[in-house]
Amino acid sequence: MNWIGLGTLLAKEVHRFSKVALQTVVSPLISTSLYFLVFGVALGARLREVQGIPYIEFVVPGLVMLAMINASFLNTSSSIFQAKINGTILDILVAPLGAREFIVAFLAAAALRSLLVGALVFIVAFIFNGMGVAHPLYTLLFSLMVSATFAAFGILVAIWAEKYDHLAAVPNFVLTPLTFLGGVFYSVEMLPHPWDTVSRLNPILYMVNGMRYGLLDRSDVSPGVALGVVSVGLLTTVLVTWRVVASGYKLRT
Amino acid sequence: MKAGAAPLLIERLSKRFGDIEAVADVDLRIRQGEVFALLGPNGAGKTTIINCVAGLSRPTSGSIQVFGHDTVRDFRVTRRLLGLVPQEIVFDPFFTPRESLRIQMGLMGVKPDLGRVDELLRMFALWSRRDSATRSLSGGMKRRLLVAKALVHRPRLLFLDEPTAGVDVELRKDLWEVVRRLAAEGTTVILTTHYIEEAEAMADRVGIINHGRLVLVEERDSLLSRNRRGQVRAVLPVALSAPPAHLPPGTRLESENVIVAPWATARDIEEILRVVRQLGEPEEISIQQTRLEDIYVDLLKAAPDSLGRHREGESE
Repeated sequence: MNWIGLGTLLAKEVHRFSKVALQTVVSPLISTSLYFLVFGVALGARLREVQGIPYIEFVVPGLVMLAMINASFLNTSSSIFQAKINGTILDILVAPLGAREFIVAFLAAAALRSLLVGALVFIVAFIFNGMGVAHPLYTLLFSLMVSATFAAFGILVAIWAEKYDHLAAVPNFVLTPLTFLGGVFYSVEMLPHPWDTVSRLNPILYMVNGMRYGLLDRSDVSPGVALGVVSVGLLTTVLVTWRVVASGYKLRT
Repeated sequence: MKAGAAPLLIERLSKRFGDIEAVADVDLRIRQGEVFALLGPNGAGKTTIINCVAGLSRPTSGSIQVFGHDTVRDFRVTRRLLGLVPQEIVFDPFFTPRESLRIQMGLMGVKPDLGRVDELLRMFALWSRRDSATRSLSGGMKRRLLVAKALVHRPRLLFLDEPTAGVDVELRKDLWEVVRRLAAEGTTVILTTHYIEEAEAMADRVGIINHGRLVLVEERDSLLSRNRRGQVRAVLPVALSAPPAHLPPGTRLESENVIVAPWATARDIEEILRVVRQLGEPEEISIQQTRLEDIYVDLLKAAPDSLGRHREGESE
């Protein structure tokens, strides 16, 4: 194991997103704050409570999750894809780094950015409505697992993508729709049949609800089930990513 | 590093890209401390061989050892021993030259050593731009940064893939000087180039590759002396209507008072000069000798099959 290499790659990735913090950290904070303004301050008073809590509080976990999923996915996918396009992936490929070091470093950096963004979004929510965290340990563990899952997914997409269009397609056509349909703005119980059942096929529903349990002690699904779904997702994406990186697919000719 | 092991040992290396055979059954042993030039036209397979050694390409068959370690099984060891200067200028716009060197050092598994980083920045005349955005550097500076990055972890085997392609004369001479210094310090250097003068000036041994096959590996000096031939050109004080007798076959008149006679041995040269002087003291004499370029062009003109495949030791 090349520990120095792993630490350097991790530090490099953190340094990279810190250098463009306006884009990587501040930007999601602004967009999420706009959601709070619209759904909380402007429309909040006209919306009834959901699951016994004010609507503005109800949407916070989903918005935190949306920001975290995007941050972790974009951190790995954009970094690796840009390195592929400008040729600097060579710096990593010629180094004595195995698939383990490669994946752990990228996942850890993405998780750090994701946690940072998630924490900032939550702080904004706190400022708006003074809410707390119902289950801190669960929230932290759950956040880390979801971040790592989408960071691994980002690595896979970056390796597969051959043009920027491919890279943009995933957040635009997969992540954002699935997140919006994953109960960020509504409870599954509010959906008519069969959409309430169909919604349960969406893995992001379990992530949004797991976060909602962690922050608000409310959820459409049991916290154990949410944790189980995320565990399976994490294990699957990391194993597939490990196989792909170790095989050198689209990285080594 | 295994004691006494060759810096690089390639056995029966083949690499296919679909139907294209980029490298075909190549054997090569590189000696400790030598500068080896791999010559060949574009697409001959030079970069593919380097990529296979550095782990950027996966061989279809064959084995590669770096200082006795297998490049697939012991990749962590072999990559630590290698340095690679790529053909293309690549740079990460996020980082300054100093940051880039520090990062590369860490990726290679070496503890942070800012002294080494600063030493390289000075050696490659990048010191004044050490904290500038890399994208703002000139092409020559970016090329020098690439060489510095390849050296930051003190590799024992350095690959320079077309290091002077598109660089100005001054930088080319600077890079040659760096290579000489590294070789003197014991680093083994393999360079690919299609500038023959580069190989002639730098290399201890030369390998010529064409259509993925290594067609020749030989000491530069022995290659030159084995193929030593040339021509004597003499400007005479008198006009001639035909070349004098007793000169080697192929002698011709360039003009009525200029003789051009081919030579193959020192005795030929003496004989040509003796005959020419009998016609009067020449106003000008020049003796031209075959250059590596001539040998290279001749070899590539011949079909690889007629040359046969080079095997370790055949020509040594």
